[in-house]
Amino acid sequence: MEKLIGLVTANYSTKYPSALSETRPVASVPYLGRYRVVDFALSNMANAGIRTVGLIMPYNYRSLIDHVGSGRDWNLSRKKGGLFILPGSAFGTSRTGSRFLLRDLEHNKVYLKRSTADLVILSSASFVYNMDYNQLTAVHSQSGADITVVTKSATEKDVDVTGFVVDDGRVHGIRHGVSFGDEAFLDCFVVRREFLLNLLDWYEQNDYLDLFEALSGDYGRVDVRTYRFDGYAEPIFNKDAYFRSNMQMLDPKVTAELFPAERPIMTKAHDNAPAKFESGSHVSNSAVSGSCRIYGTVTNSILGRSVVVESGATVNNSIVMQSCVIKSGARVENAIVDRNNVVPAGTELRGTPDDLFIKEKAAD
Amino acid sequence: MSKKECIAMLLAGGQGSRLGVLTRDIAKPAVSFGAKYRIIDFALSNCANSGVDTVGVLTQYRPYLLHSYIGSGAAWNLDEGDGGVSILPPYATQTGGAWYAGTADAVTQNIGFIEQNDPDYVLILSGDQLYRMDYQKMLENHKRHNADLTVAVMPVPWEDASRFGIITQDDDERILKFTEKPNKPDSNLASMGIYIFNAKLLVDTLKEDATDQTSEHDFGKNIIPKLLADGKRLYTYEFQGFWRDVGTIASYHETSMDLLGLQPDFDLYDAENPIMSNAGAKPPAYVGPNGAIDDCLVGNGAQIFGSVRHSIVSTSAYVGERAVVEDSVLLPGATVKDGAHVVRAILGENSVVEDNVVLGSVDQTKDTAVIGNDVVVGKGEE
Repeated sequence: MEKLIGLVTANYSTKYPSALSETRPVASVPYLGRYRVVDFALSNMANAGIRTVGLIMPYNYRSLIDHVGSGRDWNLSRKKGGLFILPGSAFGTSRTGSRFLLRDLEHNKVYLKRSTADLVILSSASFVYNMDYNQLTAVHSQSGADITVVTKSATEKDVDVTGFVVDDGRVHGIRHGVSFGDEAFLDCFVVRREFLLNLLDWYEQNDYLDLFEALSGDYGRVDVRTYRFDGYAEPIFNKDAYFRSNMQMLDPKVTAELFPAERPIMTKAHDNAPAKFESGSHVSNSAVSGSCRIYGTVTNSILGRSVVVESGATVNNSIVMQSCVIKSGARVENAIVDRNNVVPAGTELRGTPDDLFIKEKAAD
Repeated sequence: MSKKECIAMLLAGGQGSRLGVLTRDIAKPAVSFGAKYRIIDFALSNCANSGVDTVGVLTQYRPYLLHSYIGSGAAWNLDEGDGGVSILPPYATQTGGAWYAGTADAVTQNIGFIEQNDPDYVLILSGDQLYRMDYQKMLENHKRHNADLTVAVMPVPWEDASRFGIITQDDDERILKFTEKPNKPDSNLASMGIYIFNAKLLVDTLKEDATDQTSEHDFGKNIIPKLLADGKRLYTYEFQGFWRDVGTIASYHETSMDLLGLQPDFDLYDAENPIMSNAGAKPPAYVGPNGAIDDCLVGNGAQIFGSVRHSIVSTSAYVGERAVVEDSVLLPGATVKDGAHVVRAILGENSVVEDNVVLGSVDQTKDTAVIGNDVVVGKGEE
């Protein structure tokens, strides 16, 4: 079996940041109550047996490093290998949307050079999906492609997602943004380590570009092929996509696919108590994280850890993040309430299904 | 290795035979409790929260789950470079080796572990009790009294007193009399089986006890009475608050129910002194469109589509559509399928109650229904 290492890129911002991603890198945006977006990339790698992973950091790395720590929760705290925290370039977050910025990769060539691995899987932390990377690497090695990119058929327009121009399984170019039916890039690819180092040498003078932009003139000679992933995979670049994907987690069929027992999505461990549903509470079609205490009404919503919904309070069609308190009689509807907010008694935070209300996070 | 002031010896080898099917395959300290914990979490968390960073865990009965669960001790911040958790099962020597034949014997066989750490004090704990205690306060108490041995005590109802080691003390908390499980108790001050010994005295006393053919090698029956008879300085440390030793199915059920209600006796939400556990990452609990939950603790990964009242729904447990669960404890992975009705029952880990099965009885005079781990209850088998 070929030896694999991983490289996760987190040094980028989105074209249309919301209050959720203005204050933190996309990689550490909370997801489904207890996770953060980076968990999917790290867990996919860990579940493929990868025990050496580099993580290219954005400048605003506080929340991300707090979350990943030593990497222990992904079996990446190791004497040999493990989690390598790698510096991102200052250019990263200002070069909006580039997930595989050459400058970030050039900066960290030493990580690739010191490895003896055959293959590198690179992934951003921007999609929610659970995939068996061993199938990807098997296909890659068999096909003889230089690069194998993971794609899906786009289900809708998304300006943040990279698309590929594909003919007979081979990539001929990229597009910025996808529409229905386009070959959408899941921001994950596998490449031979030596070949990646060659590419970085070739494009050293163009390091302000994204790798796949730099390849634009070379798709004729660099064999880039697609690997279609058919499972659940959604980008979370903007607030509407983020909200919709979270809400899809209220379908047990989707969560069964995204969180199978044999390939768990791992995350930072916390010492939360079980959730407590008190007498008189009403909860339906909702996901409730550890240490939540619910006295009021929660419908069609997702609650992060340690959220308190007091008696007489209602939360409907909303995401309420960690440590928020919804006071008695308060009403939260069609909203995303970022962490640490106290919604005062009798007040309302209301958006509409088409125009969600976003409450930015409050101070600790 | 640096010298440790106080190390803990955690007795976790007991079967807990009165817990029946719940301990058929696993030791009592490994039994699931409180939706996401195992019983040993409480003692290990107390150690970690009290700054006791060297813990020997003495195991014997059905230890696999316990061993893998404790792992490196990292889940309780006990993966210390110097100290941390050490698992101490019975072992062989040149002259044979033996099973642990009593609480004191188990520690005697691990005197080498105590000597290796060379502590001033040894804290003896039981791995099957549910409580939150700051052992540092007990140690301060021990030092203030210049004691040889301090026994943690608490008042118990008089009618229960004959189940415990019962203590009579003077006004200065010095122990005058200790009687293990007296028929006619003359005090209701009970030993909790939590001791702090001066390390040297403990080692000397255990070595002497080991040669005594008449001894049962038990702390309560032999060691404490001997030290008292020898005129040693034995003191109490009175504990107040929630403390349970869930010896039977009935008390396991009752103690689980004690976690419910608006103001339960035990606060699981104390963030300063959390009960830590080695829980895998599971998605948040999910309540379906027709789910109805009233007064329940629910662990991560649980899915509830039916009605659940006054119950504990542990990690990854499942309650199907139109199912009704009342006054029950669903252990991790337990499944109650569509239309089933479960009342006053304990469902073992990964057990299954099939569609429309009725299990248990509201009749308080009947025993709590218990289904063992991995058991499937079909129609007609209830």
